[in-house]
Amino acid sequence: MTSPAHSPAVSDNWVIPIPKWAYAVALVALTVTWLVLQENGIALGHAAETVHEFFHDGRHALGVPCH
Amino acid sequence: MPTNTDMPTYKGLLLRGVGAGAVSGLFAGLVGVLVVEAPIRAALAVEAARPTEAAGHEHGELFSRGTQVVGGVLAAVVVGIAVGALFATAYAGSRRWFTSKAPFVRAVTLSAAVFGAAALLPAVKYPANPPAVGDPDTVEYRTVLYLGLIAAGLLVAFGASYLASRLGHLSQPVRSTAVALAVVAAVVVLLVAFPATPDAVPADMPGSVLWDFRLASLAETATLWLGLGVGFGLLVDPAVRKVRQVSAV
Repeated sequence: MTSPAHSPAVSDNWVIPIPKWAYAVALVALTVTWLVLQENGIALGHAAETVHEFFHDGRHALGVPCH
Repeated sequence: MPTNTDMPTYKGLLLRGVGAGAVSGLFAGLVGVLVVEAPIRAALAVEAARPTEAAGHEHGELFSRGTQVVGGVLAAVVVGIAVGALFATAYAGSRRWFTSKAPFVRAVTLSAAVFGAAALLPAVKYPANPPAVGDPDTVEYRTVLYLGLIAAGLLVAFGASYLASRLGHLSQPVRSTAVALAVVAAVVVLLVAFPATPDAVPADMPGSVLWDFRLASLAETATLWLGLGVGFGLLVDPAVRKVRQVSAV
C-alpha cells in the first residue's frame, strides 16, 4: 500500500518495526507484574508468602484484589 | 529537513518507556507513602481491634510496618518499569492512535485511555479495599473478575481507536461524538454485565476509612499511569528532545 519512500500523504502515519524479542520483553514485563501483584503461591510455593507480605502495601494501594 | 534520526526505533522507545515507568512508579510510590499509608494504618487498627485472628492471616508477622512501606514503594517502582515496557510496546504498535497528533499528545492520550481501562474502570466496579476487608476464600474469584474487567476495558479502548479509523469519512465533531457514545455504551454494558463483588464490607470497617483508602488508591494509580504517559511523551517527542530549526519550511 505505502512505499517506504517518503510520501507526504502518509508521512504522519508511521509504523515502527517491532522486533521478535519485543514479545519476550512483554512476557517478562507481564510476569514481573504478576509476581509483584498477584503471586499467591502457584509458582513460588511457600516463598510466595514472603513476596506477598513484602509487597502487601503496594498490592492494596494499586487496587489489586487481596484477601 | 527530516532525517532518519527522527524515526524512533523500538529499542529507543523501550528504554524511554522503562525510564518513564521507573520515575512515575517512584512518584506513585511516594503518593502511596504520603496519601495511602494513613488509611492503611487506620484499617490495620480496625483489624488489630478484632477479638481473635480468626481469619488466620497475620499481618506484620514477616515484616515490620516500616519494611512493608518500603515494599509498597518498591512494588510501585517495579510495576512502573514493567508497565512502562508494555506501554512502549503498545505505543510502537499503535498505528491508528491519533496518528496526526504530536508524539507527546499520542503518549498522554494513550496513557489516559489505559488508566481508564486498567485503573478507573475496575475502581468503579471493584473498588480497592484496604487490609481487613476481603474474604480470603473469594480472592481468586475476585481476581478473575478484576483482570477480566481490565481486559474488557483495554478491548474497548482498542475498539474505540479502530472505530475512529473506520469512521474517517465523517466530519470531525460527528466522528468524535460517535466514538464517545460508543465508548460510553460499551462501558455501561461492561459495568452492568460483570457480576458484583462477592464480598460484603465488614461492619467494623468505618465508611470514612474505606472512602479515604479508595480515593487515595485511585490517586496512586493515576500518578502511575498519567506520570508514565507524560514522562514517556516528553522523552519521545522530538519537539521536546531538541529544538530543531526548520529552515526548509
